[in-house]
Amino acid sequence: MPDPLEGHTAKALDGALAELRLRAVSMGGLVIDQVSTSIRALLEGDATLAQLVISREARVNDLERTVDRDAFELIALHQPVAGDLRMAKAVSRITVELERAGDESKKIAKFAARLATGEPQGPVHAVARYLRHMATLTTGMLRDAVRALDEADSPMAQSVTARDSELDAEFAAALRQLLTLAMQDQRFLGATIDTVFALKGLERIGDHAKNIAEQVVFVASGEDVRHRRKRVTSDE
Amino acid sequence: MDSTTTARAQSVQQQTRQNPQEPALRSEKSSGSRDEARIETPRISIAVDDTRKVRALNVKAAVDNLSFYYGQHRALKNLTIPIADRQVTALIGPSGCGKSTFLRCFNRMHDLQPDTRYEGSITLHPDNLNLVGPGVDPIEVRMRIGMVFQKPNPFPKSVFENVAYGLRLRGVRNRATLAEEVEKALRGAALWDEVKDRLQDSALALSGGQMQRLCIARALATTPEILLFDEPTSALDPIATAKIEELISTLRDQVTVLIVTHNMQQAARVSDYTAFMYLGELIEFDEAAKIFTNPSKKATEDYITGRYG
Repeated sequence: MPDPLEGHTAKALDGALAELRLRAVSMGGLVIDQVSTSIRALLEGDATLAQLVISREARVNDLERTVDRDAFELIALHQPVAGDLRMAKAVSRITVELERAGDESKKIAKFAARLATGEPQGPVHAVARYLRHMATLTTGMLRDAVRALDEADSPMAQSVTARDSELDAEFAAALRQLLTLAMQDQRFLGATIDTVFALKGLERIGDHAKNIAEQVVFVASGEDVRHRRKRVTSDE
Repeated sequence: MDSTTTARAQSVQQQTRQNPQEPALRSEKSSGSRDEARIETPRISIAVDDTRKVRALNVKAAVDNLSFYYGQHRALKNLTIPIADRQVTALIGPSGCGKSTFLRCFNRMHDLQPDTRYEGSITLHPDNLNLVGPGVDPIEVRMRIGMVFQKPNPFPKSVFENVAYGLRLRGVRNRATLAEEVEKALRGAALWDEVKDRLQDSALALSGGQMQRLCIARALATTPEILLFDEPTSALDPIATAKIEELISTLRDQVTVLIVTHNMQQAARVSDYTAFMYLGELIEFDEAAKIFTNPSKKATEDYITGRYG
């Protein structure tokens, strides 16, 4: 299949669009690594890994600004329409989602750093299985969403959206597990709350991956698939 | 292509019968007509999906199966396009696709050339007049359908006489009436303030943009029902272009506008509906916002994104 970004008579637009997508994809790569590293830091109690994630947060923020500016400049200089415009708009949106996913992993890394310096590890160990599984799910969703952007693969993007409910179910199960623990032993309350936030962070990252995937579907078809089931019918 | 896209394209259609739930809409003329049969103004209803609302508008001119021949050459092929009343419809497409030929059918400009032939119809509403039908006087058609060309072409006369020309042709002699109508047309073309003190100066002394607005005023003076613009700004600078575009959007309140343009951004800015033509055929017709964000046909997408040729 030919690349949907190519084939313009003005080759400069081909280049600008490809460059924009490439930068969004590499930002995606960095964020995926942030997520998996933060969870490793959490599960292994590794303060160095946690510090790595925290220090790289500035780069993620920087990329959000520059990629968004590139999308903005492309719109101003090339005045894209139709599929090209959808790509520029989607990339601009995707950088926001990636940056927020990055934020979540930074918060997880901060918790990991606290665990390494004395916060009780009981709650994390109690739901380690869930954390690991949810981390696998979210990084998988993020990876596929970013790949779908890179390869203009709408079916792959749709598969990401479908996986979100599995993540939600895992989150609910992990919460139940933690609740039982908290009721048995109240000394861990602070660490339990932090663990809930970590789980919630992973669940949010899944949502961001889903939002990215929805933008990819929008680029391909022009269809806005956000909030599909919650649409309010108005007759104005 | 998914099925909704196809469905959308198919639902771009002209409804000749009204929705039974809506109150009956009849033109004033038809209700007072002596004809037993009521003449109903057809309505245009453009594609609906879950995010778009139906816009039911009156049709000013219904182009139905229109073909046009230069000798043996078929320049237009079975075009069917509804032209919505008091809306701006833009025609885009590569050079030679027939958009100017199509535009010129509306005021019978082709009649000036020998060996040309129309097939099909352009029905002007509300009086159901087939503009390209035999027995229709082209002069009468041109009185009702004005045209503005690519290059400003004022007559080598005064500003006042340029605008008064069409009125004089119609037999208006009264000086007060003429002055009043000329002022109204010049105001309508957003030119009055710039020329009110130099009405007797030669029109050829105006700037390019002013000349073009003078030509629009000249066309407006005879209160046309449809105004045709054939690349009206391609010879103008950006400021003059912006003034003409602004003028076109204000004209929408009083007249149906049909505009041919090579400037895609201009079509996007000024038009309510956009038709993409290629090799004499209509490829896609839809709301401008739809065409420029998510066209249904690949050929349209390739053309507007600059992937043509």
